[in-house]
Amino acid sequence: MFRPFVFIEHPSFLEHDTGGGLHPEVPARVALIRQRLEHGSLASSMTVRLPKESVRADLLAIHDESYLFRLEEACLAGQTSIDHPDNQISYESFDVAQVAAASGMTAIDLLETGQASSVFCSVRPPGHHAERSRALGFCFLNNVAIAARYWQKAYQRQKIFIIDWDAHHGNGIQSAFERDKEVFYASIHEHPTFSFPGTGYAEDRGEETGRGATLNVPLPPGAGDEMLLEAIRTKIAPAIEAFQPEALIVAAGFDGHRDDDMSGLMYSTAVYQELGRIMRHWGECCQGRVVSILEGGYHLEALAASVEAYLVGLVGFETGEK
Amino acid sequence: MYIAAYMKKPALTVRPETTIAEVKSLLASKHFRHLPVVDENGRLLGMVTDRDVRSAYPSSVATGKQNKDEMLKVSQSPVCEIMSWDVVFLSPYATLDDALILLDRQKVGALPVVDADRTVIGIFSIRDLIRAYTSLFGLGERGSALVAVKADGKPRPLTRIVHVLEEHDIHFSRVIRTRGDSAAVQNDTITIRVNTMNLRAVHQALEEAGFTIDAMRPESFKNTIPHA
Repeated sequence: MFRPFVFIEHPSFLEHDTGGGLHPEVPARVALIRQRLEHGSLASSMTVRLPKESVRADLLAIHDESYLFRLEEACLAGQTSIDHPDNQISYESFDVAQVAAASGMTAIDLLETGQASSVFCSVRPPGHHAERSRALGFCFLNNVAIAARYWQKAYQRQKIFIIDWDAHHGNGIQSAFERDKEVFYASIHEHPTFSFPGTGYAEDRGEETGRGATLNVPLPPGAGDEMLLEAIRTKIAPAIEAFQPEALIVAAGFDGHRDDDMSGLMYSTAVYQELGRIMRHWGECCQGRVVSILEGGYHLEALAASVEAYLVGLVGFETGEK
Repeated sequence: MYIAAYMKKPALTVRPETTIAEVKSLLASKHFRHLPVVDENGRLLGMVTDRDVRSAYPSSVATGKQNKDEMLKVSQSPVCEIMSWDVVFLSPYATLDDALILLDRQKVGALPVVDADRTVIGIFSIRDLIRAYTSLFGLGERGSALVAVKADGKPRPLTRIVHVLEEHDIHFSRVIRTRGDSAAVQNDTITIRVNTMNLRAVHQALEEAGFTIDAMRPESFKNTIPHA
């Protein structure tokens, strides 16, 4: 028995131009995901939806207005990057980033109104490194953090659990919620001493009233499926069980794949199917309220294959290829 | 790299006739552990530490009249009775490396910083040293990663690495060469702290320059998650 799922994307995601050259965060990422899914085992059960318009107030829940103006101006003025040469922008980037941010909120609307039972947002630019007033690591607006606040505000789901298994620590999500006990941020990533952005030590457990609602599990370079699953089983699962969330947001990054040269992690494609299964199982504990939002993943073929594997696990359509 | 930029200034100082009780409360209220002792012109005479003060007092567990008298006597004694006189100091032109060597060699937690006529102008502690190197090495700041390459045995590897990074506009804060376990240069590892997420570009630039990227995998890590 499989459940149909909604795939959110927008043509404008192809228009955020990172300048060519060696920049890994390229439009082909989402194009290839779409292509792979359309020709794969999930094609018949997939509904594609566009994100709604973003609302300024929802962005302001996470970002400073002065930063939004600064970002918009940088794009419109023809700047090629903001805050660091990593963060390449083009004329369209501010608009595209807003569409990406609106995708998670659209996913929440679809789940809450019963129009979907499973949603994946195939967005770019990614978001989890974006800070309140600073672009970082290819990220401009923090898509996941914005979605979490929206879920609280629009549907009164107060207790949100964010699980981030991108290879890199989501510093922006952590700093948005480290003083908040209602939004739990859990991340499994390559150890900060080796890996960008250099945050996410296991000692960081949240601040003040949010103490205990942040959980970082750093893995050594070379860690593979076994360590990832052990981290989930021994660290994340008990945390989610104790927290009893009303909704789950997955910061779904695929750059921990062994073929991806943006991290030293060595995950297989197959482990993403297992991750999908685990996310589905956790989602069942909060009435299926699970939204997955794409973060990293830079080896194009591995990314597309891993997303497909993840979705096969997530929607419970297990007959797909491994 | 000069300690002048990282020392605490002005340093809080005491005179040799200051009582031990006063020093004790000064150290406690300011959360300091070291105080330079100076003459009437502010020139360095010596140092007093919280350990000197603690050792001067009788055990806080012991009670009785004798102990009380002893406590009173210590409190009223001048600090010159317990301070160290023959102390090593730093000049503001000392580098962080100088300070590191001296702090390590002297096995002390802090050193006074004095100008040419021995006037105390600051104090420099191990904590200040850690902060200085943390910032110089670009640690703790958001936005860096560690990359390691194997030295290829060809001449001037560091020059070539720095050149290729700057050519590609890759920002970095630290380049360290560590010796391998044999004399062969090929066993040396060079680690670079780069300020970019785009490791693909870093790897490619270094590989084009002839270096092999070292995956830095712990040789035999146990298959368990490290605990906080």
